[in-house]
Amino acid sequence: MPRRLLLPVALLAVALAIAAIADRPLPRADAVLINRGDATTLDPQSMSWLQDFRVAKLIYEGLVRQDPFTPDYRILPGVATSWDVSPDRLTYTFHLRTEASWSNGRPVVAADFIHAWRRALLPDTAADFSGMLFHLRGARDFYAWRARALAEFAASPPADRAAERLWAETLARFDATVGARAQGDHTLVVTLARPVPYFLDLCAFPALFPVCAPIVRAHEHIDPDTARLRTDPAWTKPPTLPCNGPFEVTAWRFKRDMRLAHNSHYWDPARTNVDTIAIPSIDDANAQVLAFATGAVDWVSDVTTSYRGDMLAAKAAFRLEHAAAVEAMRAQGVDEIEIDRRLPDDPRAHIHVLPAFGTYFYNFNCSPRLGDGRANPFADARVRRAFALALDKRTIAQTVRRAGEPETATLIPPGSIAGYQSPRGLPRDVARAREELASAGFPGGRGLPTVELLFNKDGGHDLIAQAAAACWERELGVSVRLVQREIKVFREDLKNGNFMVSRAGWYGDYGDPMTFLEPHRTGDGNNDRQYSSAEYDALLDKAADEPDPAARLAILGEAERVLVERDLPLLPIFRYNQVMLFNAHRVSGVTPHPRQDQILDRLDILGDGKGAERALTMSGGTEARTPGSDKEAQGSAGEGARRGEP
Amino acid sequence: MTGLIVRRLLQLPLILWAVFTATLALAWAVPGNPLENPEGRRPPPEVAAAMRAQYDLDNFWRFYWSYLERASGVRWARESLDGTAASRARAAQEAGLPPPARPVFDLGPSLHYKDRTVNEILWASLPISATLGAGAILLALLIGLLAGIVGAVRPGSALDAATLGVALVGISLPSFVVGTALLLVFGAWLRWAPVGRWSVGAAILPALTLSLPFAAYIARLSRMAMIEAMGADFIRTARAKGLSEGRVVLRHALAHAMLPVVSFLGPATALAMTGSFVVERVFTVPGLGQHFVNAVQNKDLFLIMGVVLVFSTMLVVFNLIVDVLYRWVDPRIEGPG
Repeated sequence: MPRRLLLPVALLAVALAIAAIADRPLPRADAVLINRGDATTLDPQSMSWLQDFRVAKLIYEGLVRQDPFTPDYRILPGVATSWDVSPDRLTYTFHLRTEASWSNGRPVVAADFIHAWRRALLPDTAADFSGMLFHLRGARDFYAWRARALAEFAASPPADRAAERLWAETLARFDATVGARAQGDHTLVVTLARPVPYFLDLCAFPALFPVCAPIVRAHEHIDPDTARLRTDPAWTKPPTLPCNGPFEVTAWRFKRDMRLAHNSHYWDPARTNVDTIAIPSIDDANAQVLAFATGAVDWVSDVTTSYRGDMLAAKAAFRLEHAAAVEAMRAQGVDEIEIDRRLPDDPRAHIHVLPAFGTYFYNFNCSPRLGDGRANPFADARVRRAFALALDKRTIAQTVRRAGEPETATLIPPGSIAGYQSPRGLPRDVARAREELASAGFPGGRGLPTVELLFNKDGGHDLIAQAAAACWERELGVSVRLVQREIKVFREDLKNGNFMVSRAGWYGDYGDPMTFLEPHRTGDGNNDRQYSSAEYDALLDKAADEPDPAARLAILGEAERVLVERDLPLLPIFRYNQVMLFNAHRVSGVTPHPRQDQILDRLDILGDGKGAERALTMSGGTEARTPGSDKEAQGSAGEGARRGEP
Repeated sequence: MTGLIVRRLLQLPLILWAVFTATLALAWAVPGNPLENPEGRRPPPEVAAAMRAQYDLDNFWRFYWSYLERASGVRWARESLDGTAASRARAAQEAGLPPPARPVFDLGPSLHYKDRTVNEILWASLPISATLGAGAILLALLIGLLAGIVGAVRPGSALDAATLGVALVGISLPSFVVGTALLLVFGAWLRWAPVGRWSVGAAILPALTLSLPFAAYIARLSRMAMIEAMGADFIRTARAKGLSEGRVVLRHALAHAMLPVVSFLGPATALAMTGSFVVERVFTVPGLGQHFVNAVQNKDLFLIMGVVLVFSTMLVVFNLIVDVLYRWVDPRIEGPG
């Protein structure tokens, strides 16, 4: 090689060697988890992804917390030690614990909640879940007022602009009109617009978590050109980020890893069972499984490899070898994770299928016209029922999905909400399906335009769509066209009604049927089906006014019955499962509860000599907390219940 | 030579402006709402409208000019002069915080990674991709030149056929196959390399995977140029002078064969150093390449613009470096670049 070229090459090699020596990997953390995806934000008010919520529940604490090892997802005291509810169920007075502290040593005070909630209610910091706070009295009006004021500001001549004055006015207006008030440092009074039986459940949701007001305020400024409040995202990065949960963030390297450590300022140090948690960023499904197999990772939250079905088959074979023992344990009510823990340790048993708080379904477009103006045959409920009755859900669940997901005829996963009785739904009945189609004027499918089935690329939706289309063509004599779109285009098509039938899925955010039923209300922003039924809307309103929790759930059950038995704006196909990897003999703290958001604060690596070293199991208690009975929740706040032990 | 460098650097802003305008027009036309979480629920309509307004996503021209103002450094200059920057730094100091970061070229926030600015993302991932890419180019040079020389010395021999065959495989095999196979063998079975953890010291597998297509290309380029050179008059002269065969091949023929390789190295280095989506995914490399794909999928406008502008800059700069190297290696090359 020409000598002159050797010099740059040698320089490059030396630089690389120096880089390799400078970049020392950190030691392995006590627990290494692969979350669903990379955290997108640690600002609790800006979050909208499940992986962010999961981290939020480790590093923040709301007014209350929940115990995922109780069937009713029991509400436990968090920053609030207790709370009083007014007889009209509109006013909640929370009493904050005096020893609650941020990781920077500052106390957690009522003003921190006010600051956080005000951020969520400002169009300036607009985020997906701002709407959760619209339950507060005056909140929605305040939001609209500020949005209008900002628009008027932008339209006004620059000489008249006074951004700071508008901001002062905004603060005053929030204090005067929105139903959230701090009384001293340790009392927070919340007034709702109307009774919300699941309000405490919402208080355990990240959008309502507090932020350390002095730190966040120092990162905020008013943009003189737009009058908008701008927040420098530097506050969410360690070492600045103040945490008030059991863990604090010690490092967050973009696309590389996040490191958590036990928060020494947390009021309940006994809660944590590991000192450090690492959450590496591994996107590739295959690499995730390999990393787990080499022991570099303790928990993989979602297994999505193409050979997942084979891994599950191996687990089924393992369970079959111990069939008698498994049956005996199931009869005693032992949870599925604990069963694996009591069986011999076997790598085949490291994959776990757990029921999730979500349903896979198809939307029917219920509006009389499609987005492009064509007449829509699915506006007729008889056509929708025919397609629902004809679909072979079992084949889809068992031979297409292969993740052990049960077919379903309801929207709300049965058993996921304590005290709620699911309707039966429509069982498969091909003969009746043909009758329904004929009565709608399409005997044998004649006269029905080609049905367009819309789905998004990736995620295996194409296979399910093919199976569904083949089934409908075979059983109903219709012709089906498959329409595949990129996810962003798919979402636009849904919003604009450019579909007849489309793939859909829904996960619940809180433990109440409303989290599934609200999106079917007339005009709701998530009502992609454009379903509109005065009777259904009236049932939801009636439930909202019903003070008795049991009677309320019965009304909501009736509303779901209207959806899944009579009007069929959607066609439930199967309940989602979550497929995870972890060794139950080594890891404790992962819950089999059907809510599946995985609050991992009590995560324990068994045998590492740290923490309780005792596996957590679903507590056998079957007594259900009926949503809305706050007094009972308070009563269960004893020491034993807090640890979630039976 | 100085004239060449100055001319090219003066062209750079113009090129970037044209690339920015074309890319933004295309990215803006992609359907879909960048602020909508495809897995989640839609926020109430007033919230959705506020989210768009927050980032000027409701007006193309407002977005275009405000981006241009910030990315070009005009905003930085204005804020430095009118005292806004100073007052903000003072406010931070009063709160006991470090002064806010104020990059000259502000590429805006990421719409998907809400806590990160595009500048931060580039700072975090570009050095990693550049390190990995540089290693891969070194490996590619080593493997490619060796294969090229071996082939050219005895063209048509079994050894030549073998190296050509390997080069063909290197070009054709997609890196997700090579990468996954390497990871399985050296990571999972032999446990020589970590799985799912990135460190520069453990970068040999991704560097090798990344280098193979480049190595194959270099092998073919150098082989052809060498074969051509071996028949040339100056080689005959060198042999007639009584030089050893090794000296003839390594000094005289290779010097000639390097020229096409060097010109290939310009765009190749820019490409390797800005990362590869597939290699980064398989080996969990926190590099830049993944953002070329993910940012488009997320319709993360700021990040799309950021990575495209960085890639364009690197392409211009590396082509310039190659032109300079060219003249340095072979002073006979003259004239405007």
